Amino acid sequence: MLSIFKSIPTHMDYKGQKLAEQIFQGIILISAVIGFVYGLIIEQFGWTVYIVLAGFAVSCVLTLPPWPMYRKNPLSWQPALPEISGESSQKPQESLKKKKHK
Amino acid sequence: MNTVLSRANSLFAFSLSVMAALTFGCFITTAFKDRRVPVDIHVSKVMLKNVDDFTGPRERSDLGFITFDLSADLQPIFDWNVKQLFLYLSAEYATKINSLNQVVLWDKIVLRGENTKLNLRDMKSKYFFFDDGNGLRANKNITLTLSWNVVPNAGILPLVAGSGHISLPFPEAYETTKSY
Repeated sequence: MLSIFKSIPTHMDYKGQKLAEQIFQGIILISAVIGFVYGLIIEQFGWTVYIVLAGFAVSCVLTLPPWPMYRKNPLSWQPALPEISGESSQKPQESLKKKKHK
Repeated sequence: MNTVLSRANSLFAFSLSVMAALTFGCFITTAFKDRRVPVDIHVSKVMLKNVDDFTGPRERSDLGFITFDLSADLQPIFDWNVKQLFLYLSAEYATKINSLNQVVLWDKIVLRGENTKLNLRDMKSKYFFFDDGNGLRANKNITLTLSWNVVPNAGILPLVAGSGHISLPFPEAYETTKSY
């Protein structure tokens, strides 16, 4: 069961995360302003709440799943280095030491 | 923000903060509003009895019966921060023992969306108008006032007295009945 859930991709890249946050904040704030003005005009606070909830639902759909627009800037990792036989036992230790010095 | 759950968490928290701000805005837009409306009270009949008060001082106390008409338009009170009104009709008077007596005679709840035009004829009081002694007989100044609690969606619970109270004298003699 768990492996099925883990196989669903949920990851966004860094720029995508920033974009998602800006999108949901914008949608909720705009729906809040619309709802407040509408509720004030028709004198029903319940409609304000409904409109904000609608904004919440829309931003859930738009920003919870990792849509392709949030994955346009993937990190460019260094390509995997081919392992050289014989030195493989020493190399990891050297790299660890270098990281500690930094 | 890198997993679905952390995004859902920040989305939910942000929505709740926005909702709290809107609720505060709802309170602020109505906080300084005048919620008084004119009320017309007319008393058609006053009756006074002297009966045993088993809850009070264990002596014969004054019991008043008032029949009244009430008309008011409550529509201006209702706005988007009002859920219901609790109306109550109270009598205020002074006696030798107490400088201020207040007795609630009648009340009514008006919910949002109900008929806001009150037009009541020949109403009997809901609750007993008992004095704690004999202060009602020949009392020249008994003031009836309609007041209301405004129950809001958010904010304070104002207590408002309607403008238009009525003062009436009570009879000098007790009503005598053979059976009660």
